[in-house]
Amino acid sequence: MECGVLLNMRRALQLFILLCLASQACAASHTLVLVVRADSKVSDLDSLTVRKLFLGLPVLVEGGLLHPVRNRSDAELDPIFLQQIVAMSQSAYDRQILIGVNRQGWLRPAEVSTVSRVLDILYDDPNAVTFMWLHEVAHNPRVRVIRVLWSD
Amino acid sequence: MRASRLLLLVFIILSPPGRADPLRYEFLLLPSAGVVGTFDRRAQITQTVDEVVQADLIFSLQKGPWKLFGEYLISDHEGDLERFQLGWQLSDETVLWIGRFHQPTSVWNHDHHHGQYLQTSITRPAIDEWEDLGGVLPQHFTGALLESGAKAFHSWWLRTALAGGIAPRITAEGMEPLDLLRPDSHRHQMGYQARASLHPDEITETGAGILLANDELTAVAPQPTELPGLDHVAVRLIGLFATYAGTTWKLNGAIYNVDTRLYYTGSHGKDSFIVGYAQAERRLPHNLTGYVRWEDSARAASSPYLQLFERFARSRRVAGLRWDFVQHQALTVQYANSLKIDGHYSDIRLQWSAAFF
Repeated sequence: MECGVLLNMRRALQLFILLCLASQACAASHTLVLVVRADSKVSDLDSLTVRKLFLGLPVLVEGGLLHPVRNRSDAELDPIFLQQIVAMSQSAYDRQILIGVNRQGWLRPAEVSTVSRVLDILYDDPNAVTFMWLHEVAHNPRVRVIRVLWSD
Repeated sequence: MRASRLLLLVFIILSPPGRADPLRYEFLLLPSAGVVGTFDRRAQITQTVDEVVQADLIFSLQKGPWKLFGEYLISDHEGDLERFQLGWQLSDETVLWIGRFHQPTSVWNHDHHHGQYLQTSITRPAIDEWEDLGGVLPQHFTGALLESGAKAFHSWWLRTALAGGIAPRITAEGMEPLDLLRPDSHRHQMGYQARASLHPDEITETGAGILLANDELTAVAPQPTELPGLDHVAVRLIGLFATYAGTTWKLNGAIYNVDTRLYYTGSHGKDSFIVGYAQAERRLPHNLTGYVRWEDSARAASSPYLQLFERFARSRRVAGLRWDFVQHQALTVQYANSLKIDGHYSDIRLQWSAAFF
């Protein structure tokens, strides 16, 4: 009887630890970070500059024009991009991009639909700036995390 | 001459800041088609839309801080290289352009350019009409344009634009800007413009500003018959404008005071008139947008300068409804009543417009 109670407690403790680990893993997968190539000249970008960059406005760092890459590899990224990065609805964003091209010849951010393609662009272009889930880049020595953009 | 220009372009693109960067580009197509019917005609010439079907092509090439930017308009009325600009991005906020551009003191044109999709109404205010559609102010210049922005008064944002370039000339057909693809050898004079505006932040359209321009327009053969012996006109403009861009409402307006000096062979004259407009747009359910515009003027009927432009409407009332029925496509219906110097008329228009990357 006593042994059974101890067994149940042990199982409950195991379950608790498992749940803690799972929630930690879950938290790690829901942290969105701004990333550049490891040797990029970009050291920091404030939220207003990040917004400008992804609205297509020119942003120069040490004379080099930054190239925004909109990561669309995960459906969860789109609402976070609109709410947290550019702070506008999809239709307002589309219109802003059209206005920028029409008035100033600004280039809209490249849109990429796979993680591997996002990483390829980062590896190739020292001026590329994108956003990715933290767990996708946590141990990648070829890219550098600039800042946390969003975390749940 | 052309070879030296080409060499300059190659030098720029291969210069160290450009060489390190990949060539990137953008292409935007803004097509539109419309029909118009006029009625209640009490004027000799009732302006109807010349461009029933048009395609506005915008391209932008970028390599490092260098940009090559252009706009080509093809329609049943014309095929023109409207803008062609080589730009140097000096900083995040400052770009220097050389080439053919839309002058910055026309608020409407500098914001909307030729593409119909990005303007809510079908027509533009009469004071901002293009030269080849009976416009009274010069719009296309070939020269240099410096656009900049800076923080001001703590959190406000100051936008400025300074421009100088070869001005259009005046003929019996109206104004004719320099055509880069078919340059003429006629005498052209220069024009200079400045614009400054304050905005609550760097990205918003909401703001207010001031406009200044001093343009010299040469009269060439075929001479306008309305003002025989005209040699050239000096147009001095001062204006104010304001825009409120909210999520539901958009309000914008501008007022221009225009002073002109008309130089004839052996004499000269002068006049002055005021023109303004205000437009209100309201976003409605089901992707509908309703709008009204009121255009008016003072001393326009007695202006000798405006006699050169028989299609100019000195007063106009506009009301319309736009329906964005799918992404990047819209249908618009519009009613307008226009009062010209010699009478009035009304028109109804229906337009489809779109934007494609």
